[in-house]
Amino acid sequence: MAAQLDDLIHQPLRLKIMAALYADREAGPVEFSRLKAVTQATDGNLGSHLATLEKAGYVEILKDHVGKKPRTRAALTPTGRKAFRAHVDYLREVVEEVGDAP
Amino acid sequence: MGMTPNEAAAALSDIERTTERGHVLRGYRAGGPILMLWGLIWAAGYVAMGFLPQDRWGLMWLVLDLVGIAGTLLLSRGSRAEKQPMNWRMIVAFVALLLFFFATFSLFRASAVEPYLAFPGLVTGLVYIGMGLWKMPRYLWIGAILMIATMVGFFFFQPWLTFWMAGFGGGGLFLAGLWLRKL
Repeated sequence: MAAQLDDLIHQPLRLKIMAALYADREAGPVEFSRLKAVTQATDGNLGSHLATLEKAGYVEILKDHVGKKPRTRAALTPTGRKAFRAHVDYLREVVEEVGDAP
Repeated sequence: MGMTPNEAAAALSDIERTTERGHVLRGYRAGGPILMLWGLIWAAGYVAMGFLPQDRWGLMWLVLDLVGIAGTLLLSRGSRAEKQPMNWRMIVAFVALLLFFFATFSLFRASAVEPYLAFPGLVTGLVYIGMGLWKMPRYLWIGAILMIATMVGFFFFQPWLTFWMAGFGGGGLFLAGLWLRKL
């Protein structure tokens, strides 16, 4: 996927969520509480932005139980990974263009 | 509409900061159980020092340290977040620390046994403070508390120093490990 601005990812909290999930892509799905700590978001905010990313097909939400405790985890989908990489490439291009300007 | 270079640079910094915060939290989580293990070893060692004759201390610590190293390797292997290079670094750091203890004891020979009991608490505290300053701020608190507890034990509870070090050093490290593991 070519470098391109992704308006959905551009929102600051969604950018953090995507960055956190991308950094943990090899370690498997990330627990909601951990994602909350990494992004420094509130429960409600995080839940609502995760839902937006899920609807776009960028994030997969997994709900299960550990013993009797409910657990919510999130992971990037292949589409989400590609979109994030393309967005980061776009950001780098914009910054580098200034550096290359005469 | 596109982004300005400033907006793009700010977004890239945000990504970098988030990734870094994730690494630090992962480090805490991986380090928690290891700290708990060393807290138990520390407590067991100092309690044993309170009961065993001094000529058995060296062998006892050698056995406990080997158990600790083996446990550390197992725990860090179990943590998927930490990749292999950490293992040899941990071993090198541990061996360097042991050599430092022996070298210091040879240079500054204490006339009483208490400084030998307290010194590991100070050095371990210093190591954690270094880790805290470098990347993981929570270790700064752990190191500072360990150093302060060691000095309080040395000056005010010297007759019970081994048990003080077991309780406040070992127990403290165990609780610190629990604190880190929660993240």
